[in-house]
Amino acid sequence: MKFDQKDLKIIRSLQRDARINFAEIAKECDVSIDTVIKRFNRLKKNGIVKGTTILINPRLLNFECIASFEVDVDPGELASVIVQVREQPGIIFCTATVGMHNMFAVSLQKSMKDLSSLKENLKALTHVRDIQTSIWVEEILLCPQNFELDKLTKR
Amino acid sequence: MEDVDKKILEELTKDARTSFRKIAKMIDKSPDTIINHYEKLKKIGLIRGSTIIVNPQRINYEGMAAFQIDVSTDKTKKIDINNILDTLIKMPNIIMATKTVGDHDLLAIGVIHDFDHLMKINEEISEIKGIKNIQTSLWASGEEICSKYFIV
Repeated sequence: MKFDQKDLKIIRSLQRDARINFAEIAKECDVSIDTVIKRFNRLKKNGIVKGTTILINPRLLNFECIASFEVDVDPGELASVIVQVREQPGIIFCTATVGMHNMFAVSLQKSMKDLSSLKENLKALTHVRDIQTSIWVEEILLCPQNFELDKLTKR
Repeated sequence: MEDVDKKILEELTKDARTSFRKIAKMIDKSPDTIINHYEKLKKIGLIRGSTIIVNPQRINYEGMAAFQIDVSTDKTKKIDINNILDTLIKMPNIIMATKTVGDHDLLAIGVIHDFDHLMKINEEISEIKGIKNIQTSLWASGEEICSKYFIV
């Protein structure tokens, strides 16, 4: 798969602002608008780029309580527990992990009360042994630019 | 929150490059109305920006890791948790960081090429002044985080 400096520049521009005009990127990369469109479509086609999205502040949609859970699940029952956890309201992410605990999940809730009942529901699941909760406070910093894409062009 | 706002959020979450004209057509409003609502959503900070979603697996990231960090309580050192948070989010490969209340003080999520790379990032984090302990959890990068609020 070919990936060069121009692809990199296109991705970097769109990482900062996905709504940027393709003409602007074209000017920056010193290529035609057609080239930018073609390359963007190629990046999407070969799966490097999944799409574009807006970044929302969930707190302003009244999701005040954002928390992550590190869960200890009976080994061997992990896959079925993950399926059950993903069905819980407000769970936006759940995965098996390697480390001190074997599951990591993130949830968005409107209140502390909702968070507490979610935790109780999780604890009530068979094969869940223990849960460590971390409530995310203040601003959540996101930095998609920190992906090291530069290395790809050198390979 | 009006229906127009909901529609804007819904469409732009799916594809941030959707034109305002297209959204306007869908709900039978003028493009100007859409632009005004969009600008308002940006102004109040509900829309923090837009970004491209790259597939970590396709760019040689095998996994992702959560770093739960304990900040030192040593009173003789002047430790500012905000400085640590600031340093973390500027580190290459760290894509999310936040303060937490619970067993640990900070949570950072990063993208990982391989085990060597994970060790390197762990070491870089532990070198930040004021960090007492790091607890790492690792998972395969194929897992998708809901794109509504996160970017991976």
